[in-house]
Order: sequence, then C-alpha cells, then structure tokens
Amino acid sequence: MHDLISNLAMGFGVALSLQNIGLCFIGCVLGTAIGVLPGIGPLPTVAMLLPFTFTLDPTGALIMLAGVFYGAQYGGSTTAILARLPGETSSVVTCLDGYAMALKGQAGTALAIAAIGSVFAGIATTLLIAAAGPPLADVALLFQSADYVAVMLLGLVSAVVMAHGSVLKALLMILFGLLLGTVGTDVASGDYRLTLGLDMLADGLGFVPISMGLFGLAEIMVNLETMAGRTTIAKKVGSLWPSRAVLRQAFPAMLRGTAMGAAFGILPGGGPTIAAFSAYSLEKKVARDPSRLGHGAVEGVAAPEAANNAATQSCFIPMLCLGIPPNALMALMVGAMMVHGIQPGPSIITKQPELFWGMIASMAVGNVILVILNLPLIGIWVKLLQVPYAYLFPAIIVFCAVGTYTVDSSTGDVVLMAIFGVLGYVFRKLDCEPAPLMLGLVLGPLLEENFRRAMVLSDGNAMVFLQRPISLGFLIAAALLLAAVLLPSIRRGRQEAFRE
Amino acid sequence: MLRRHLMLIGAGALAAPAVHAQSFPGAPMTLIVPWPAGGGSDIAMRLIAEAASKQFGVPVVVDNRPGAAGSIGHRALVNARPDGLTFGMFSTAGVAAPYLNANANTIDELEPLAFFGSDPSAIQASKASGITSLADFVARARANPGKIKNGNDQPGGASFLAVASYEKMMNFRIQKVPYAGYAPTVQALLAGEVDSATVAIPDTIEYHREGKLKILGVSSPTRHFMAPEIPTFKEQGFDVDVGSWRCVAGPKGIPADRLKKLQDGLLAAMRTEEFATRARTAGFTIQPGDAAVTLARWRADDTLLYGILDEAGLVKARKR
Repeated sequence: MHDLISNLAMGFGVALSLQNIGLCFIGCVLGTAIGVLPGIGPLPTVAMLLPFTFTLDPTGALIMLAGVFYGAQYGGSTTAILARLPGETSSVVTCLDGYAMALKGQAGTALAIAAIGSVFAGIATTLLIAAAGPPLADVALLFQSADYVAVMLLGLVSAVVMAHGSVLKALLMILFGLLLGTVGTDVASGDYRLTLGLDMLADGLGFVPISMGLFGLAEIMVNLETMAGRTTIAKKVGSLWPSRAVLRQAFPAMLRGTAMGAAFGILPGGGPTIAAFSAYSLEKKVARDPSRLGHGAVEGVAAPEAANNAATQSCFIPMLCLGIPPNALMALMVGAMMVHGIQPGPSIITKQPELFWGMIASMAVGNVILVILNLPLIGIWVKLLQVPYAYLFPAIIVFCAVGTYTVDSSTGDVVLMAIFGVLGYVFRKLDCEPAPLMLGLVLGPLLEENFRRAMVLSDGNAMVFLQRPISLGFLIAAALLLAAVLLPSIRRGRQEAFRE
Repeated sequence: MLRRHLMLIGAGALAAPAVHAQSFPGAPMTLIVPWPAGGGSDIAMRLIAEAASKQFGVPVVVDNRPGAAGSIGHRALVNARPDGLTFGMFSTAGVAAPYLNANANTIDELEPLAFFGSDPSAIQASKASGITSLADFVARARANPGKIKNGNDQPGGASFLAVASYEKMMNFRIQKVPYAGYAPTVQALLAGEVDSATVAIPDTIEYHREGKLKILGVSSPTRHFMAPEIPTFKEQGFDVDVGSWRCVAGPKGIPADRLKKLQDGLLAAMRTEEFATRARTAGFTIQPGDAAVTLARWRADDTLLYGILDEAGLVKARKR
C-alpha cells in the first residue's frame, strides 16, 4: 500500500509536469475530435502522430498517444447518440439506447451520462491498473486458443440476449454476420475465400464501411421516409444535465459496466467490443423491466459506455506489464516505445518506473481533462439536432464517405458502405437488428482463427474445449445464458399456441 | 483526404531546407507502405521518409495501402506514374506473394531502388518445452516429426517463410501454427501454448533476459547488435542464414536521369549517421545497398522461396 502511494506520487510527479500535461491535453483534444468524426479512428491518428514523437521523450510521447486513444472513446459516443453512427465497434451498443434517447429529446442527458460513465470507469480502472496491474497481466497468459473460443461464444450468446425483437431473427442476424466474417484470407492455408477475385476483399469486410452503412446510411433513409413535414429529427432538445433521479438510476449500471470492461479488456482481440455487448446484456438481465432497454433507457447508455472505456484502459495492462499488445492500437504504442529503444517486455516496470507510473497517472489526469473538455461541448452537440435535416443529412453522408475512405485509402470501401446502407434499410423494414450482425462480423474471424488453432494444437481433439477449466467455465456460462433467454420465449410460444 | 493533408503538413514540417538545389524532385514525393501504420515495416519506412525528405529537400508523404499481405500496396506501386516521385516498400513476403496469390505482382514488374537491411530470424523455445539448445531442438524435431508446435505467421508471412526455410535447410519437420503477427505469437510462447517460435530478436530479447523464454540462436552470419549474448546458428554447427529484408522499389519506366538521382539519393539518405542511429535504436539491422544489391537479393530469394513453397504444397499460382 505504501509502495502504491509512493509509486503513484512519482507517477503524478511525471504526469503533472508542464510538458506532459500539455501533451496529454493535445492528445485528449485530438482524440475527442477524431472520435466525433465518423470513421476516422484513433488508429490512423496515432500512426500519423508517431513520427512527431521521435523527437519527444518516450514518456511524453506515450502520454500523448494514449490520450488520443481514450479521448476517441469519449468522442465516439457522440455520433452514436446524435446520428446513430458508431465510430468504433465498441460504440455499436450505445447507438441503441443513446439514439433512442436523442429522439425522445434527451440527447443532452445521454451525452452527459456517457461522459460521466466514461470518466468514472476510466479513473476506477486506472486505480485498478496501479494496484493490481502485474498480477492481472499474468491472467492474460492463462488464456489459450480454446479459452478464447469459449469467450467468443459467450459474446455471441450475449448478442441474442440483447436483441429486443424476435430471438430467431437475432440468431439469424448473428449467423449472417458470421458468414460475412468468413470473407477474406483463410487463416490456416492462406487461400482467398469469397473474395470474388477482388484484392480489396482479401482481408475481409471492413468494420467501418459496414457499420456506417447499416447504421448511419440506413437511418438516414428511414428518416427521410418517415419525417414527412418535420424539419428536424428530434422534436425537442430538453435539459442538458441529467437529473438526480437519472444519475441514481445510471450509477449501478456504470459500476457493472466498469467491472465487465476491466475484466474483458485484458483479453486480446475483441475485448472492448465483447465488454460493451456483455455489459448491455447484463443490464437487460438485471433490469426490472427489460423491455425499456432499446427504447431509450439510461442504463443502456451508462453500462456499455463505462464498459468500453474501462476496457480501453485495462488493455494497457498486458501492454505495460508484459509488453504484449492486445490490439492494433497497443501494438502501435509498443512500436512507439521501440522507436525510443525500449524493448517490450516484463522489465518495463522495473527498468522504466517513471514511464510506467507516469503513464498510469496521466490516464487519471487525461480523464479529468476529457470530462472538463466534453461537458461544455454537450450544449453545442445537442444544437446540431436543431439543424434542419435537409442540411444535416448530406453532411452526415459526406462525413461517412470521407471517414470510410480514410481507413485504407480505398474507394471500394465507400461502395461497400453504400451497398450495406441499402441492406440496412431492408433489415429495418424486416425488423431485423443490425447490432447482432456486427458482433458476428467482428467475432467471427477471431472465433474461427482460435477454433482452428485450438484444433491444430490439440491434434484434432474437440474435447479440449471441455478439458480446459477456463474454456469449460465460459461454455457453461454461455449455455446458461442461452437457456435463460430461450426457455421463457419457448414457454410463451407454447402459451400462445394453447390459447389458439 | 483529411489524413493525406495532415500527413503532408507533417512531412513538410519535418523537411529540412534542401541540401542540394536540384530540378528533380522539385515536388512532394510519396512513399507507399503496403502494411498498416505503426507496424515494424511502417516505422522503418517512416524513418526512410524522414531521411529522404532531408536528402531531397521536399516532403516525402507516407501512404499506407495495407491489405492482401502487401499485394494491394505493391499494385499501387506498379501502377504509379513512373516520374520518380512515387516509390514504395518491397520485402521478402512480396517475393513469395505471386506464388500464393494470382493477383500479386512479380519482381519483374518493379524497379529496384535501394536496399534497407535484413532482420535476421531466430528460433525461440518456450520455458514449458524444456528445450535447451538449438541442437536439442533439431534432435527433438527430427526424432518426432510434427510433434513440436511452432508459432508463426500465416502462410507467406515473414516468420512462416523463416520456419519453412529452416525445415528445408536443416532437415526437420515441425507443426506450423498460424498467428496474426508477432505479438500474439510471443504471447502464445510465453503462455506455453506453442513450444517454439520464429520471430525477430527485438521482439523477444527482454523475455529471454527475464528467463521467460529461451532464444536458441540467431540465423545470421554475425550476432545481433541488440543481443550479443545469443550465439548464431553457425556457431552451433548449422550454417544457415535466414532473415527477412526490406527494400525500396519503384514502378518500371522511370526516366534514366531521374532514376539515377532517386537511387543515389535514397542510398545517401540511408547512409547518414543520423539515420543509422535512429534505425538501430528502433531495433533494425540496416545494410544500405544500391539497386544492384537489391536486384541480386530479389533473384536469389525468388529461387529459394519458390522451392520452399513448392515443397510445402503452397504454390497456387504461377507454377514454374
């Protein structure tokens, strides 16, 4: 405990130097800006900033790059709430209740809850890293391919739970997402599958064009069809600051979301995404009236936003404590360290204590900067909803197209976005939700890669999934969750049948 | 567009005043990187872009065109206007790509410009495997073919080509388990999910020093500058030189005078003290070479890798 305090004191000493506060601020501002712009994510931004950090000291460089990363998570919820545009995979879930709140005239409340949930989760997880980072990092090493398969299955099942319509439709959408996820290069043989001879499909269907199409463009089409006579999408704007009652309702959800996020963030791959989806499913399970979720319930914003921010912070644990980056962005951070001659590995804490503790302290500082930065902005964002839709929707389309193009400098992705826009409109007409599809698309390739690897490693013995305790535990959890969803709906189905 | 502009401003800010006032290039140049931003290749190329920018006195914009194991970026390079203002990265995996993917460009469609360097490959053993030395590893692999599980890239990737080369040159067979990049491979090795791996020295040296895994040897003629305590394969009785190299190439058809200036300028940029220091700090082994050196390496590896891929049953396009 004494060590922790003295270490944190040293960390804050580093993080609160004038230069590092400045760099943290720059990172947070940039992160917020790119988070708000749909499509342009933290990954290209950090890559672009990398050459500038050659001349900085490594601690300052990492503080700034980290600021971009978690800053983008704050900004990302803005478009999800205001325009049903998920900027990141992890903000797909925020679209559901966040946008529903905006339509009800509670956009300000939704944005404020998202920001408060994020800062709460951010600071709580930072403390967790400081107190228990190194032992937690070793947890990541306990997970092998078979265990990841079980985690992914649990994630997919949680998508069934969160659907508020028909369970059958949600299952079909997940399967369709998994199917789309098989497009690309076969992980084991390197063969191209379902690529239609196009090189642009060799790495699979991108998340950004598809989510922009299914959510953003489809929403625009539906709005243009149903608005008849009205000029703005939200009837009224309402209060900007959440009432005490709303905060009391949101707080337990934030706590649960933070716990989910911190736990899943340590795992490589779909960490923040699975965290956000699972947190939402949990809210639906614990809610007294689950039907509220999906129609503008404040818990539906608070839990996933807390979860994805907690996960973005806790994914620093394996990176800082083991040198293992759990996602592409953390890999960039490792790259930034290597440029400065710091080799990734477990020795960072002992050899570079100022870098380690300085970065952790800077995350606490950054979260405070972000909330100060973002709360006043809510008023401005909400005004966007009063812009006549005739001006707003062309702007959204342009931003979507630009954002999609910048991911890989590929015009093919813009065409893909348009195709999925039309498909998204068809799904809306059929009452099929796109969120389970997105989860299938994101987790499908990871599921396949880990499943095939697990089978190679076990020499083709499928029992490995039941023999490993971690895998078995997650599989049982998935089975229980699935039973909990299916049984009532089967019973209800029977009752209806009997009534006839 | 936004990204391009920002990069342009970025590169412009980094560019120092022209060393020699020349008519060529006289306009911003573009360096196509066929890999995503932030990876090892991207960092290597950004170092080159910075040095070339100082050398030529114009901004050099890095344009990441990732996808299809580099093939998308290589196509952009082959199709670029041959005015000497666009060049890009080419590497070991690019030589192998046309045999795996019918759409990929061959070395005959590119103009060699300058050689960056070759990062030697190495073999690492997990702590759980109990493998003690390179000789022990080879003996176990020969005694039980396919029993040792090795973490590597997907077929065609650098660490896959390295392990396939070792198998052919050192006469053993192990089970190749594909991972998406070095980081997950190292994680699997630390967790004991695989017995061995064939990734680069800078990614594993700290774990070796901490005793979390064991680097059995480095397959280059000399020891690695970052890990002088690791013996080479040759020192341990295996005369094997395997590594993955990076170079700079351009489209065919650049006018001769421009081509010469471009080749000379890139080589000079990579030979500066500042560049060497930066590259070494980042962990790259650099061996700046001219176009002839580059072409010779392409041709040698083309023959070698074709043989390896053919034997592994991976040649799916362009049978010889």
